[in-house]
Order: sequence, then C-alpha cells, then structure tokens
Amino acid sequence: MNEFLKEQAAWKQLLSENSTRRSYQQALVKADTQFHALLETDVEKGALMAAASQETGKLGGIPFTVKDNIAVNGFQFTCGSKMLEGLISPFTATSVQRLTDAGAVPVAKSNLDEFGMGSSTENSAFSITRNPWNTDMVPGGSSGGAAASVASGMVPFALGSDTGGSVRQPAAFCGVYGLKPTYGRISRYGLAAYASSMESVGILSDDLGLMRSVFQTVQGKDVHDQSSIDCRDYEYENEKPLTIAVFRELEGTEPEIERGYRTAIEAVRSLGWNVKEIQLPSLAFSVPSFYTIAMAEASANLARYTGVRYGYRAEGASNQEEMVRKTREEAFGAEVKLRILLGTYVLRSGFQDQYYLKAQKIRTKIRRELERLFQEVQAVLTPVFPVMPYASGAGLTSMQQKIADRYTITANLTGIPALSFPACVENGLPVGMQLMGPACAEHLLFSAVQKLSDALPAVQLPKVITPQEVLNG
Amino acid sequence: MVDVHIGLEIHIQLLTSSKVFCSCPSSFGEEANAHVCPVCLGYPGVLPVLSRGALQLAYRAGLALNCSMAETIALDRKNYFYPDMAKNYQITQFARPIGEHGWMEYDLDDGERKRVRIHDIHLEEDAGKTIHVSDGALLDFNRAGCSLLEIVTEPDLSSGREAERFLQAFRTMVRYLEVCDGNMEEGSLRCDANVSVNHPGKGLGVKVEIKNLNSSRFVRKALDHEARRQERLLKSGREIVSETRLWDEKLGKTVSMRSKEQALDYRYFPEPDVPSFTLDDEFVRETEAAMVELPLSRFDRFVADYRLQREAAEYLTEEKERSEFFEQAVSAGAPAQEAGSWMKGELAKLLSRTGVPLERITPESFAALINACTEERITPPQGKEVLKKMLETGDSPDEIIEREQMEGGVDEENLQALISSILSSYPDVADQIKDGNMKAIGFLMGKIMKESGGAADPRKAKTLLLNTLGISQDTSN
Repeated sequence: MNEFLKEQAAWKQLLSENSTRRSYQQALVKADTQFHALLETDVEKGALMAAASQETGKLGGIPFTVKDNIAVNGFQFTCGSKMLEGLISPFTATSVQRLTDAGAVPVAKSNLDEFGMGSSTENSAFSITRNPWNTDMVPGGSSGGAAASVASGMVPFALGSDTGGSVRQPAAFCGVYGLKPTYGRISRYGLAAYASSMESVGILSDDLGLMRSVFQTVQGKDVHDQSSIDCRDYEYENEKPLTIAVFRELEGTEPEIERGYRTAIEAVRSLGWNVKEIQLPSLAFSVPSFYTIAMAEASANLARYTGVRYGYRAEGASNQEEMVRKTREEAFGAEVKLRILLGTYVLRSGFQDQYYLKAQKIRTKIRRELERLFQEVQAVLTPVFPVMPYASGAGLTSMQQKIADRYTITANLTGIPALSFPACVENGLPVGMQLMGPACAEHLLFSAVQKLSDALPAVQLPKVITPQEVLNG
Repeated sequence: MVDVHIGLEIHIQLLTSSKVFCSCPSSFGEEANAHVCPVCLGYPGVLPVLSRGALQLAYRAGLALNCSMAETIALDRKNYFYPDMAKNYQITQFARPIGEHGWMEYDLDDGERKRVRIHDIHLEEDAGKTIHVSDGALLDFNRAGCSLLEIVTEPDLSSGREAERFLQAFRTMVRYLEVCDGNMEEGSLRCDANVSVNHPGKGLGVKVEIKNLNSSRFVRKALDHEARRQERLLKSGREIVSETRLWDEKLGKTVSMRSKEQALDYRYFPEPDVPSFTLDDEFVRETEAAMVELPLSRFDRFVADYRLQREAAEYLTEEKERSEFFEQAVSAGAPAQEAGSWMKGELAKLLSRTGVPLERITPESFAALINACTEERITPPQGKEVLKKMLETGDSPDEIIEREQMEGGVDEENLQALISSILSSYPDVADQIKDGNMKAIGFLMGKIMKESGGAADPRKAKTLLLNTLGISQDTSN
C-alpha cells in the first residue's frame, strides 16, 4: 500500500466510528484556533448526510470542507457576510450532493472573502484566515479557508469557487492544487452567485489522484443548472509530447514568482515537451473587461439580499424602503458595496455601449484569440498571481488586487479549465503556477500537471493534522 | 376632433402546471406561501430552469398572433427593487422577444373588421403579492415565478370601446388556445394601456400610461375618460404630461401615479443563468401541431357555411366548447340555424339562470330535441320544457317526452273543444275578428296555447280557429 492509499484508509477509519469522529471534531476545532479557516465545523452532521448513501467507493468516508458560499442542507450559509449571518441552508448544492452520494463527508464550512469578493480572505465578516505556512501571511482568497483547510491537513480536499481565480490563487498561496473547471462542467446549483457567467465550483487538494476522483464525481450536466454541460473530454494522444505556450516576459511580477516560472518552464523542457513563446495582445484588456462584467452581474445577483425574506434586517426603519436601504448599508462590507455600485453604474441605460457591451466584445476577442492558440498548443503556462503571499493587513489595495488577477481571470472570461500547482518554495512560502487548457481538457491538465509535479521539487505541506495521528490520539 | 391612439400591454398567466423557473405548482387560491421553494423565494445559490411547457404556450400564442417567431430563446434581467419580487430582478425577454411584428384581427360592433399590430410578445416571470395590513405589509410568494406572457400592441386602437372589443376577442382567443384562462378578476389576464391624443393627422401625442384596468369594462371607461381628459388639455393648449396614471373606479377617473422623470432605469442585461438556445425542430413541430382553429376564423366559417346571423355566430364562437357543441349537434342531424337559435335563445337563458354547465347535456341529445320539434313530434313550447328537464335530470329528450306523454300533442277533437270553449268565453273578441280585426287572433292563440299547456300545435290551432270563425286562411294573412 502506498502512502496515499494508507492515508485514505486512515481517513475512512477516522470517519467510521462515533468516538473517532469526536476526536476528529476536536482536532479540527483545535487546529482552527490557529488558522480561522472554518466558520462551522460539524463532523457528525456531515457524517449523517454521507451515511445515507451507504457508498464505500473511492470517496466513501473521505472528509472535505465546503466554502461557505456553497449550500449544504442544515449547515450555515453565510457567504462570509453579515448579511446572511445565521442563515441555515434549506437545500444542498449539486456538487456537494454528488459527493455525499458517493460517501464523502462534508465536515465544515470554510471562510471566504464576502461573497467571493477578494484575494486574501481578510474581507470576511467573521474572521481573518491565516496561511498555514506562516500565520502572519494571508492564505489568498476568496477560497482562503478552503486552501488553509487542505494545507493544514484538516481535510484531503475542499470545495471552493472560482470567479476570477478564487480557487487557484489561494491554492497557490497555500501550496496545494486548485482546479477551476470548464464553465458549466460542474453545476453551479447551490453556489451563491457573484458573477454567474464566469464562475465555477472548484476543487482544492494536495493530491491530484483524489482531485481527479472528486472531479469525476461532481462533473456533468445537472437538471437544476441550465448552464451545466456534459462534455466529451478533450482528446490528446497520451505519450505524445505536449506543446506548452509560455510568456517570454512577465511584467510587474515579483522575482520569486519569476524564478518559479522559470523553474516550471525548465520542468516542461525536462519532460521533452515543446515550449512555444507567445504574446496575447488582448490580455491587456482582460482586467477591465472581467471586472466590468463581474460587477454588472454582481449588482443584480446581490440585489436579493434585503432583509425582507431571510438574513440580517436593520432595526429602526420606519418603512420598507428605508429598511432595505439600512439593511444593505449595515450588512454589506465595503468591497461588496463598491462592486455593486460600479456594476449598477456600468449597466445604466445609455452607458452600456461604453462599458458592459464593450467588455463583452473584448471577452469574445480574447476567447477567439485563445481558440486560435489552442490550435497550436495544448496548454498555456502562467503564474497564478504576480506576488507572493503577503502579510495580513499589509497587502494590496482593492485596485492592486484586481490588477493582480490578470493571470487567473482569462480562464473565467473564456470558460476554459485551469489547474494551479505548487512549483517550488521560496523563502518558506509556496510559489504557484497554472496550466490553462482548451475547453473540457481537465484530464489532460491532470496528467500534465502530475508529470510536471514529478519533475519539480517536492513541496512539503505544513500539516498540523493527519488522520493517523488523530486515530492514535 | 382629435385622433386618439391607444396601445395595450396585456399580461396573461400561462396555463402551465408548474412555475416558469422551478417545479412549484402554479395553482391559485391556496394558503399564502404554500407553493414556494428556495428558487422562487430567491435564496442564495438557486438557479432558474426554464419550463418547456411555458415556452410551448408562449410559442403557440405567438403563432396565433401572426408573430414572426424567434428561433433562439434569450432571456434578460430587468433590475428593480420591489418587496414581493424575490430576486429584485425579473427574468424577462428584452433584446430578443419570443415573437415580434404580429397582428390580430377583431370585429367592431357594426361588424367592421379591424387589425391591431402586435409589437412583440415576451415571456417573463410573475411577482408575488403584497398584502397591506394595519401594522405593515405581508408577502405571499405563491404567484412569484409563475409564467407570464406579455403582449404589447401598437397604438392602433382609437376608442375605449375598440379596446374593450379587442380585449374581449383576445381573451376568447387565448381561451381557445388554452394558453390562459382569461380570468381578469383573478388577475390571470391583466391589462395596462397607453393613450395619446393629437390633432387629426399629426401622429402620436404625448404618451400616458394607464394602469389598474381590472376588467374589460374598466378598460373602456378608463380609456374614454383619459382620452377626453387629454383632449381637453390639448384643445385648451395646456401641457399633457408623460406619466403613469391609475384608473380609480370609485372616482370614475384616472389619477396620477408617477411622472416620467421618476421612471426607473431597469439596467437590462442578458440572463447568464439561462444561456440562449435554439429551439429544436421537434419543439416547433409539436407546437404547430397543437394549433387550433381560431375564434375569428370559426366565426367566419359559421356565417358562411351555416348561414348564421352575425349575432348567433358571435355568440356560438365566443367559447370554444360552445362552438364545438354546436357543430357536434349539427353533425348529429340538427338543422344549423335551428340549433343556433336554440343555443343563443332558450339554452343560453336556461344555462345562465340555472348555472348548470353545458356539459350536462350531449350535443346528440340536444340535436334529438331540436328534431323532435322540427318534425313536430312536440311543439316548441313543449321543447323548451323538455330542454329544461334535460338540464335538470340529464335524461334524453325521448325519455322525457315519453315520461311526460307529450308526443302527439293535443288531438283535433280536444283542440276543437278547447277552441269552442275559449270562443264562448270571449264572444266580443270573436266578433272583432269577424269584423276584420285580424290582430285579435293573437290574443285568442295565446289563450289556446296557455290552456293546452303548450301542447297544442300552433299552426293546427290557428287553422281550426279560423275555420270555426268561418274565415278563410288567406284573408288572415
């Protein structure tokens, strides 16, 4: 039995008994006092959901965390916002349902930037999540709680969501793998909407084999999501060398990231694959295009939060309109308000040509440019984020964060899959790179990244929990 | 004189079993918030799934309205805050409505045929209901997310009565199509209007929107009132303000609700949760196969084929079941004109008086009744009695005629005795007739029919009466 199978067997054993589940619950709560990655931890409740399936396959008894903007029946559903404090979800997201049907156990809801808006998990109404590599540092975001829960060993995988890099960037900051799938390949049903046309439920894990099993389990058309798709895997001859597109120059990128990029390119060459240097001129417009569309969609998606039917309701209003205004004033954070305001602005009648429609045109142009590129290459290698994990409270401004999304948002704008992976460790912190592939090329990305990881130096996660240790008390 | 331009915005609730974007039932009259789920309550994380049934009904209505139909279905979001709208945006069709550039014909009171152009028809979701109570407001989301089709006409109507006639014809049509039950009281058919007046030949004037038109009668009254209001302003040279006004039935006038400056910017954009898709051939085939003969064509056919009077044909085609009942009675052997006048006359009277549904009798038994009359097995007054009993008991006319021993009427001997007895009771009337006052015959005929309990055959009775008085048939005419 190899290490991985041993660990899987240990997880299953840990989740199989009342007494060991209690120990696990205690271990999670204790570990989280360091990282503040989890908003609700309830191993027993999750085990009950999974037990209904009687499934003991590959994922049977494997625990996972769910980002708190993804619905799990009976668990809280705050989206990291004061607006939804105390809301208990009355239904379960399709992605979670498919996992519990396969026997996997949702054990906790993980922290996030409010409604997925942010790159540091400092924009949560409830806590600031810490990076397990160094608790002075941010874990990235918005799925920072998910990434920290995997990197610290709390769970072997986590569900997050990726609207503009929100799975891949925290995965990179915490040294784990992060998948943003092809748009629609994993149902969005149960994912609280931020930018509907660009976001996906994504997977974080420290093990590519496990990630692949999870992906296989959750992917595919869902009757509850009309934008979901069944897609035929992108085909590529297994042993044939890949051609990987790389940028000749990286602008405004920290030297550690630059070095990580060169290291990753070297690994590509070492595998005998081809490297093709490219330029993508339209990428210069990707950030404004992405944020225009994302904020426009957000302004509508977040309109439902008014305190009328559920969630926070402001006190002391004398009429309904005032109540809604006060509720939104008091319960939304600054970044959320900024995005709603800008989204409302770009959709105003008479201004759509200038903003929203122009952004959609750029989006189409970028999509075409990438389609042409994928005629010649099988994947594009880029850094995930231009800067290294930074100290909490001393990070990027709201504007800098948006500009820093330039590597990740391309996959969201165009709907293609991207898989981030740890390339190396610099000054005690992981450096993440990503491979983007054509639509439905997840399996190609899994195997390519597996080979790259084998060729790269091993990255040792700062785990504070292992199932064996919990079992052994 | 001024030109009046009226356009209508009609909302119809489609007769789908479920709501348009979730599987909640779309039935009414339930306890508040009995038919809700996370989707129609706008919980975080939910997604709309467009009902194929709603799409089919919308498409069927579009074909009937002669619209050019979209091949691609695309939805948009219309953003505004309202407490009974769960998501604070409405999913609707803005940029690419399901049908455009259509028209519908209808007849005015005098039979003149008019055509109203349809600007577009589009599918959307309904909102919930706000119920105002003394210490606040209550919300009922049963209706939230039910499927609505909005029909926008061009301003081709020119009076309240035209709008009323059009709306009635439209209602009849959607009921034929089985896309909407057309119930204005319950709000399954709702109508807003826009009105403008201008000097003759000067085109459209300043548009005023009128809301709260809850019956076709209100439509007529409100639009006539509004047209007169605007006409007065126009003639006195005062400004007509572009605004939204409400019809106040109690006051009998329209009152201002909000001005154009207060109009909302809906910030439409494409609905990302329901990507646009192309209708498959099977969908179009199925929908076309479900089309029926429309009321106006049926009306024309009834007038042409059955030689019916306009009024009779209009009455018969007003309801699909009624027109089908008529045609089935005719195919069961009833003479068309007889059947038509019986339906519009005695049957309509009895149905409305008793509240019994038409289904109580079969077209076949109705035809048998009419034939019993035309073959003179029973007299028309007896026929009415039989029909009444048919509706009461559901029995066939033959059963009733036999049970009541109606057949054969009154024999000649008895009839003669009856006539003689009546003549002896009214000798002065008999003298008047003999003196040439033929109008007095009617009085005596009435007595005969009454005394015989309707069983006397009126023609036989008249012949006998005249013979008894010694007057030849020809002079009586």
